[in-house]
Amino acid sequence: MSLILVQILNGLQYGLLLFLAASGLTLVFGILGVINLAHGSFYMLGAYAALTLTARFGDIFVALAAGVPLAFLFGAAIEWLFIRHLYKRDHLQQVLVTFALILMFDEAQQTLWGNYPESIPTPSYLSSSISLTSDLGYPVYRIALMTICVLLAIAMMFVIQRTRFGRLVRAAESNPEMVEALGFDSRILFRIVFAAGVAMAAAAGILAAPVESAYPGIGDRVLITSFVVVVIGGIGSIRGAFLGSLLIGLVDAFGKVFVPKFASVLIYALMAIVLVLRPSGLFGRQ
Amino acid sequence: MLKAPSFRASILLGCLAALFLAAPLFVGPYGLKFVTRLVVFSTLVVSLDFLLGLAGLVSFGHAAFFGVGAYAVYFVSPEAASANALLALGAAIAASAAVALAIGAFACLTRGFYFIMVTLAAGQMIFSLFHDTDIAGGSDGAYINVKPALAAFGSGLLDFDDRRTFYYVCLALLVLSVLALSLLARTPFGRVVQALKANEMRLSALGFDIYKFKLAAFAVSGAVAGLAGGLFACIDGFVTPELFSWHESGLAIMMVVLGGAGTLFGPILGALAYISLEETLKSASLVGDLVASHWRLGTGASLIVAVLLSPGGLAGFFRGAARTRKPTPARLGQAPLESRKAATLATENLTRTFGGLRAVDGVTVSFERDRVHAIIGPNGAGKTTFTNLLSGALKPSAGEVLVDGRNVAGWPAHRIARRGVGRSFQRTNIFPAFTIEDNCRLAAQATHPSVLRLANSRRAQEDTLVQHALAVVGLADRTQAIAGAISNGEQRQLEIAMLIASGGGILILDEPLAGMGPEETRRVIDLLLALKPNHTIVLIEHDMDAVFAVADTLTVLALGRVIAHGTPEEVRRDEAVIAAYLGGHAPRGARP
Amino acid sequence: MNKPPLLEALGLNVCYGASHVLRGVDFRVAPGETVSVLGRNGMGKTTLLRTLMGLVAPKSGEIRLGGVSIVGWRASAIARAGVGFVPEGRGIFPNLTVEENLVFAARPGANGRRDWTREALFDLFPRLAERRGAWGDQLSGGEQQMLTIGRALMSNPSLLLVDEATEGLAPLARDDIWRTLGLIAGRGVAIVIVDKNLDDLKALCRRHVILVKGQIVFEGTADGLVAQDEFVRSQLGL
Repeated sequence: MSLILVQILNGLQYGLLLFLAASGLTLVFGILGVINLAHGSFYMLGAYAALTLTARFGDIFVALAAGVPLAFLFGAAIEWLFIRHLYKRDHLQQVLVTFALILMFDEAQQTLWGNYPESIPTPSYLSSSISLTSDLGYPVYRIALMTICVLLAIAMMFVIQRTRFGRLVRAAESNPEMVEALGFDSRILFRIVFAAGVAMAAAAGILAAPVESAYPGIGDRVLITSFVVVVIGGIGSIRGAFLGSLLIGLVDAFGKVFVPKFASVLIYALMAIVLVLRPSGLFGRQ
Repeated sequence: MLKAPSFRASILLGCLAALFLAAPLFVGPYGLKFVTRLVVFSTLVVSLDFLLGLAGLVSFGHAAFFGVGAYAVYFVSPEAASANALLALGAAIAASAAVALAIGAFACLTRGFYFIMVTLAAGQMIFSLFHDTDIAGGSDGAYINVKPALAAFGSGLLDFDDRRTFYYVCLALLVLSVLALSLLARTPFGRVVQALKANEMRLSALGFDIYKFKLAAFAVSGAVAGLAGGLFACIDGFVTPELFSWHESGLAIMMVVLGGAGTLFGPILGALAYISLEETLKSASLVGDLVASHWRLGTGASLIVAVLLSPGGLAGFFRGAARTRKPTPARLGQAPLESRKAATLATENLTRTFGGLRAVDGVTVSFERDRVHAIIGPNGAGKTTFTNLLSGALKPSAGEVLVDGRNVAGWPAHRIARRGVGRSFQRTNIFPAFTIEDNCRLAAQATHPSVLRLANSRRAQEDTLVQHALAVVGLADRTQAIAGAISNGEQRQLEIAMLIASGGGILILDEPLAGMGPEETRRVIDLLLALKPNHTIVLIEHDMDAVFAVADTLTVLALGRVIAHGTPEEVRRDEAVIAAYLGGHAPRGARP
Repeated sequence: MNKPPLLEALGLNVCYGASHVLRGVDFRVAPGETVSVLGRNGMGKTTLLRTLMGLVAPKSGEIRLGGVSIVGWRASAIARAGVGFVPEGRGIFPNLTVEENLVFAARPGANGRRDWTREALFDLFPRLAERRGAWGDQLSGGEQQMLTIGRALMSNPSLLLVDEATEGLAPLARDDIWRTLGLIAGRGVAIVIVDKNLDDLKALCRRHVILVKGQIVFEGTADGLVAQDEFVRSQLGL
């Protein structure tokens, strides 16, 4: 019983982190029309940024506060340098350029931080466990992590559903040319959307760092799982990305317990089932 | 369509072949291994190009087939003896073809972004299967202790352990693969596969089951990739799950695009360029320590520059100048001579809803042979939805579509097309990269749309169909023009020629006059009148003059319903029609 | 024309790939003037509007808005300079509500005035006020068209480009649109409109232009159209 409870929590925690990464991916594809393979790299860079920033400032939350704006600026720069040239190109060229970006980010990571896994300290005031049942504890940091993820998710939903900027984002998703013709410079909108996606992926990487540490290749796993989330949820759908992420998180957590060697296969099998039943994902437009 | 390499490209390929043939003479053991790897990778990327460049299917899981081929060689190799080389490579091909069929069964249901993601995920799934479990050493990989060999009558013919022999085996198989895939591209099957890239919807409207064609192309490509994987396993005698990794798939795509997708030979240049670039950037003696230690940075940057600056790939540099022919004005050919499998078309209470909107609402009409039936109505009246229901592009929510009395409602488009229903599209819908003749040939081929057509056995019959169709529409003297480069009016004529060549007795034409000048309009009207005998023509058109000039019956749709049906004279006097549609625009003389 | 032109296009050439869609078009709109652009399908009418809006880049030629050259400007900049766009196919944002669609581009006009507000438009289109909470794709064709016009007006443009606003609408809904366009013109907004309903255009517009194969073959008043009835009908395919 307690095992199930812990796995539910672990699944939710993984799912929430995944949502931060996948929502950026789905927005960038839904609005900019770009398949961004380098999205996982921003998660990876977030984790390593957490390493450096925590060493510098001593606290993961300070690292988060400093890292997210940095990631936003970094994302805007990447969009300006590379991504904006891809809007009118076909998927194949997008795949290639962003793949080449991965090569460069991986190299940068190795040069700056080396090849070995690095652990990032949990803040001392959150290093204890709270007891869920009489014989079961759960680390406080993970609870805090989930809370922050939920807050970020709510904030994002609020921005998209309730603000003027969110209106622009939703409008651009259905008809970017009309947004331009109504007087909004889509170059700036696109840059902000891309940079926000990068910032969210980096936030996930930073928050996850004390739990899963930073190591080379961490971005690949997140990227591919995020793509699975996007396919399951439906391209461009934030709601789909949310449900898809939680679903994948739970399937992964329980898979690791009951069929440890086939846990990742399970995720792809889930995707295959969803695709057969609903070819454009749970919330995709038919 | 796959073109033969240009003169310049042929020279380049000849030099390359000579270089490859002579390579073992002047490179050392390390160099030999390097060129062997290059040749094997070339086979992989050529197989990917068949899928990506010719069929337009961006597979991001191609390394899966490569890896399966490699592991197949491992599995058939005995512990302490060499496997039969034919058996080993045969197993590699068979296993990867089987896996490709299994993955393709899902992947080919999707397109675009989803296709890329599904193939990527499928590759990762196989990767984790071999990485996370203990199969063949799990994440550590496994050794093939003795490499395959081929013996006949007691003496050894080929031993893959001999590096030079093995190199020539790989080279021979590369050449064989390129030739085989090029030949395949020129068969009736290959023609349809290449048309997939341009226009799937048109293909199924012609009667081709595109799912089967995609799946077959996927399996063929997977099998050749498996062959490459099998050979790769024999280079080092070692297999590892990294072979399946999506980085390998990404690199393969990169080589294809770098070399020029859709040429089959270009990717070899791409592989050569990429692997040479990587080796150069890695060798400190050439580029210095700093660059060599960060070679991926340089590789990534070079690739970005290459992709952004040269979308056509390396092969683009060697492509000959496009042949341009001065367009000759089209003229009307002779009337059709033979009778076709004409049929009657009718609907019974046909309905289609989108959400709450009833786009087509209980339409009951019938269209007979030897007549032109026009459907008119304001935009948004449901004309195009109605057309899509007739041709199977959309499934009805309720009601029946009867072809010769048989209810075909809910059938896929290609099956309805095979019963003799041909349609043209509102936006001209041809295969722009094909010549006029090849467009028509593809349509003629639709009279026998099996996936397994490799021989051009019906060539003579098809030639007759093609020439007849082109003569009827007046394009007979322009057969070799590229369809994408002819005028809008000519493209419309070509579309009608394709319908004729595909042998449909029922022709559904969706706004064939849109965007045409008076001259062209008159030509198409004459064409419709000439086609009227032996055909059932359903015409959706806005041009009222044309409609009244050519139609035998008129059906008026408004808000998804039939508000009038009858001869042009009857409809012209109908009050409801005048109010809803014709308004002040009824042809002169018809005004109330 | 006594007033200086609000919008002026000179020697406009536009190509899509190999096809030459607009061939040396000269086109003027005075402040508050209503101009119709007539012609068969494929003659370049939509391209003309899209070029004026900055959505298509001309190959050569000059476009001036209030005397300032706007060639090479982004569509967003042209919109902010006072051009409203009602595109063919309407371009409603389906995932925004009616009210969100409407206030989407609310801003004062180039002259700093806010003549058109949400309230003013709800007065003009009471139907939209009733449906303010509905999603864009839940509207009927007529309602969508009102919304598109209202949305363009919210940016208080001095010039409205209207492409096939009555296409596919029921007769009553069409009448509504024509009446509204008349009202808008009466408030001093210049309108360039592409449509197929000649009689309604004659009632709305002071000047008419016929495009044939990318060239202007007729330019004149409604009386001019009547005077050259035979020619006009042959060019429009009536």
